[in-house]
Amino acid sequence: MNEEALLARASEERERIFQRYERGRDNLVGQIDPWEDPEFEEYHKTDRYGFIHDERLPQRTAPQKVNIEVEREKKWVKMLAHWDTPETKQKLHRRIYKGIPNSLRINTWCKLLQVNRIKFENPGKYQDMLKLGKLWSTDVRQIDSDVNRQFREHQFYRERYSEKQCALFNVLCAYSIYNSEVGYCQGMSGLAGVLLMYMDEEDAFWALAILLSDKRYAMHGLFIEGFPKLTRFLEHHDKILTKFMPKLKHHFDKFGLDAILYSLKWFFVCFVERVPFSLCLRVWDIYLLDGERVITAMAYTILKLHKKAIMKLNDMDLIVNYIQVKLHKDFGYDDDIVIYHLEKSMEELRRAKLDYPGPPPPNELPQRMLGVFVEPDKKSKIGQRAENFSETEKQTRANVILRREKAALELQELRVSQSDTVSVLPPVVV
Amino acid sequence: MTTAPGGTNNFKVVLLGEGCVGKTSLLLRYIEDKFNDKHLTTLQATFLNKRLNIKGKRINLSIWDTAGQEKFHALGPIYYRNSNGAILVYDITDEDSFGKVKNWVKELKKMLGSDIVLIIAGNKVDLEHERTVPLEEAESYANMVGAKHYYTSAKLNQGVEELFLDLTREMLEKYEQNSQTEVNRTSQVLVVDDETPVQSSCCSGTKSN
Repeated sequence: MNEEALLARASEERERIFQRYERGRDNLVGQIDPWEDPEFEEYHKTDRYGFIHDERLPQRTAPQKVNIEVEREKKWVKMLAHWDTPETKQKLHRRIYKGIPNSLRINTWCKLLQVNRIKFENPGKYQDMLKLGKLWSTDVRQIDSDVNRQFREHQFYRERYSEKQCALFNVLCAYSIYNSEVGYCQGMSGLAGVLLMYMDEEDAFWALAILLSDKRYAMHGLFIEGFPKLTRFLEHHDKILTKFMPKLKHHFDKFGLDAILYSLKWFFVCFVERVPFSLCLRVWDIYLLDGERVITAMAYTILKLHKKAIMKLNDMDLIVNYIQVKLHKDFGYDDDIVIYHLEKSMEELRRAKLDYPGPPPPNELPQRMLGVFVEPDKKSKIGQRAENFSETEKQTRANVILRREKAALELQELRVSQSDTVSVLPPVVV
Repeated sequence: MTTAPGGTNNFKVVLLGEGCVGKTSLLLRYIEDKFNDKHLTTLQATFLNKRLNIKGKRINLSIWDTAGQEKFHALGPIYYRNSNGAILVYDITDEDSFGKVKNWVKELKKMLGSDIVLIIAGNKVDLEHERTVPLEEAESYANMVGAKHYYTSAKLNQGVEELFLDLTREMLEKYEQNSQTEVNRTSQVLVVDDETPVQSSCCSGTKSN
């Protein structure tokens, strides 16, 4: 195929994908493949004879907790009405660590992120970006594929082309134009997906924009080519492990377990799908208030709370499964207790001057003006992939290899030094 | 590759390929015989286990699924380290995704030499009428690099079981060859096998999940 034909094909594909989201579920009757919807397990509680089976979730929220939340709501409503006051400032920290009442999360998150400010500073921008996205975004295919997978067990996203699925698609397409350096990166569907559980489309777009570019969160550096922020935070994470939990670090190294294998989602999407959702929200509440330090401290907290259990697992697969899957299903500690430990970890790391890997260096910050349209080059329009790694990617690649080699070397040194101490004893017969 | 007590052989397999070619779907089809029911995103590599029985040997596969978006390929070495096998997936309707397979082959050969068994899978044969990767080209390329080539459809459940089974057989062969050389060299026996006699076809072992 010549270039023109390839361009035409790519643009047809984009058009086709866009159209389906524009029409939405109600106008696509009979045109959605059955496999695109998960099986509707929620109906499975009714058997074929019409008897409804009791499959209520185990009662996790004790009645007194519900009462506490109701009491808190009252206080929060008052506080939200007087947001920019010294009293609020004084109470905010303590109250957020106790947890934002779920019904007021939307208002509070928007206030913490100052969504309204950026929205009013940029009237019409979101719609413009969305229009441009429809014409130019080169990330539509990947976005479409990820929208088809993100939070499908949640009522908002369960049905293909549901309202929220369409909103998720739009937000990500618009953002891929708004921030041309990042475009779309896998992981962002998780962030936007959570935001959209609480916000409308345009607010979620701006909230996402703030998470990436505000220096308190600076997630931009996570999603650009080569993931420089991931590298920097992982190094810091390793440093914390070496200092506070050397045995655990050794245990990981022994099985060749790089932190990337268990912690990528911690850093990329702030613990989404790695801890139970209720706990994840609590961590998000605090993250939105206190920023990057929270991620570092929570990563430490998770490993600290589960160190004993992990030390008993003698296989890389078992460890990864425990951290990725088991802790998502059941964290084993009450949310309040985890948050208590999180706060303690933050304090502990602060005292050791390890609470913050430092401000983002220039290469982790947006270099281009945000919201200024940059026409994609022909290659990305056609959807051609690069033949070779870029210099930045080569660096990242060299880095991950180096990390492993370094860990292996340390392990060897440790063994040598241990065998030195052992050698004074009679030789052990295996 | 490790040998657990009782003679179970553990093999690690990694699924690599461009985004949207259907890596996760292939895996879910193989492990759970479902197509896209779980709708998992694979930002972070995850793995699923499958137990099977070949020639009376108990095998445990841990199959690692990886993020396909091009940006993540720089993290590749973390995922394919210590793998016994790699399945390189492309979409038969997307010639660029086939180009990406070639890149992976080059990288794996360079990093792991012949220690790893390579399989190339042309997925989505249910979309045969939209094929843009010529049959002969794909097969002769696979031949040239010493990889087996399979056509699969996770959607229609075609070729999936065979692919994993043949891959496992090859990994087992390679392992036995290696341990044979090992035996000659160090006179150590690595596989202790007290299993029941030959089970040449497949999967009499317990299915996971």
